Amino acid sequence: MNTCSKCGNPHIIIRRKHSGQNLCQECFIESINQKVLSNIRKTMLIEKGDKVLMALSGGKDSVVALHIMNSLQEKNVIDLVAVTIDEGIEGYREEGIEIAKANAKELGVKHRIVRFEDYFGRTLDKMMELDEINQNSTNPRHACTYCGVFRRWILNRVAQEEGATKIATGHNLDDETQSILMNYLEGNINNLIRIGPKTESRDERFTVKIKPLREIPEKEIGLYAIAADLNVHLAGCPYAGDSFRREVGQFIKELSENHHTIMYSTLRGFDKIKPVLKKEFTLKGNNGKCRRCGEPAAGELCKACSFLENWEQNL
Amino acid sequence: MQVKVIFGEENLTEDIPENFTIKDLLKKLEIPSETVVVKKNEAIVIEEMLIQEGDTLEIIKVIFGG
Ligand SMILES: [Zn+2]
Ligand SMILES: [Zn+2]
Repeated sequence: MNTCSKCGNPHIIIRRKHSGQNLCQECFIESINQKVLSNIRKTMLIEKGDKVLMALSGGKDSVVALHIMNSLQEKNVIDLVAVTIDEGIEGYREEGIEIAKANAKELGVKHRIVRFEDYFGRTLDKMMELDEINQNSTNPRHACTYCGVFRRWILNRVAQEEGATKIATGHNLDDETQSILMNYLEGNINNLIRIGPKTESRDERFTVKIKPLREIPEKEIGLYAIAADLNVHLAGCPYAGDSFRREVGQFIKELSENHHTIMYSTLRGFDKIKPVLKKEFTLKGNNGKCRRCGEPAAGELCKACSFLENWEQNL
Repeated sequence: MQVKVIFGEENLTEDIPENFTIKDLLKKLEIPSETVVVKKNEAIVIEEMLIQEGDTLEIIKVIFGG
């Protein structure tokens, strides 16, 4: 009963409540590798010859994704390049960057570090300061809003600079089910239909984003990082996250205690109805160009540039 | 009985009863079990694992901001 379901090893490190499977350290690592690679195949995340830009923060999710994606580079299926974004969060980001660097070096993956400061003239810390000064702002934003918008902008720009055909991120099953539920509860169908293993934008000037860890629970990614003895940055961002996301995440965790398959069924159900929703609700048009940076934009300015111009006007 | 507990920067000595599991220990320390991985004498263990006298338990937080 308490032995590895695959090899019989008496020392197990996980009991998968959703499947009843027990696994030893070796079989667990192998099972995650296989599951991720099979998801990549099943959802056609990559094609032979893709150049994949891995968004590598140094946290457990992106480090685990980097190591598994690197196995595809070793088999000459893809070209891999990693990018670490330095948002400029003092006392937090520095260690993540060092760990990201060490992982890329260990695997021999080309690695770039790009800074908010270089692309936008200010760090995230500085942006938050400016925001505090400009209290006039009608709806104060939290750090995650800026961080998300500027990070997306940089990733897309670096992908173009590197000639990457895909951008890979470390999003896990918990992130994905939270997003599904949040957008559904908020009635944000526009954002809801963009969720998926492969985020194709309606604008082809955006590089396709892929989520190789989308079907792996966050807890298992943490366990993998420890079991495989990976060098990961274990720390929380000092900026308080999106509080609604946190509440929804808490709710799903509580449900999961007695309903072990709830995250999987949320994801499966969503993936089933998504094609219909997408057909019904995809907005047409809006293939504009930001007048300031040239990136795709719905209006005259992309989101990143509209924040930047707003600050400049208020200085 | 006494066991050694390492949690982040902290090094504690905990007094626990017989037949205590990892899960019981986490509850006692008020650490949510879904956010950590636990090593018992340097090997990863499941939370149903019984703790023995003299064990060293390392609690590694892997999920943040949840
Ligand atoms: Zn095994
Ligand atoms: Zn722009």
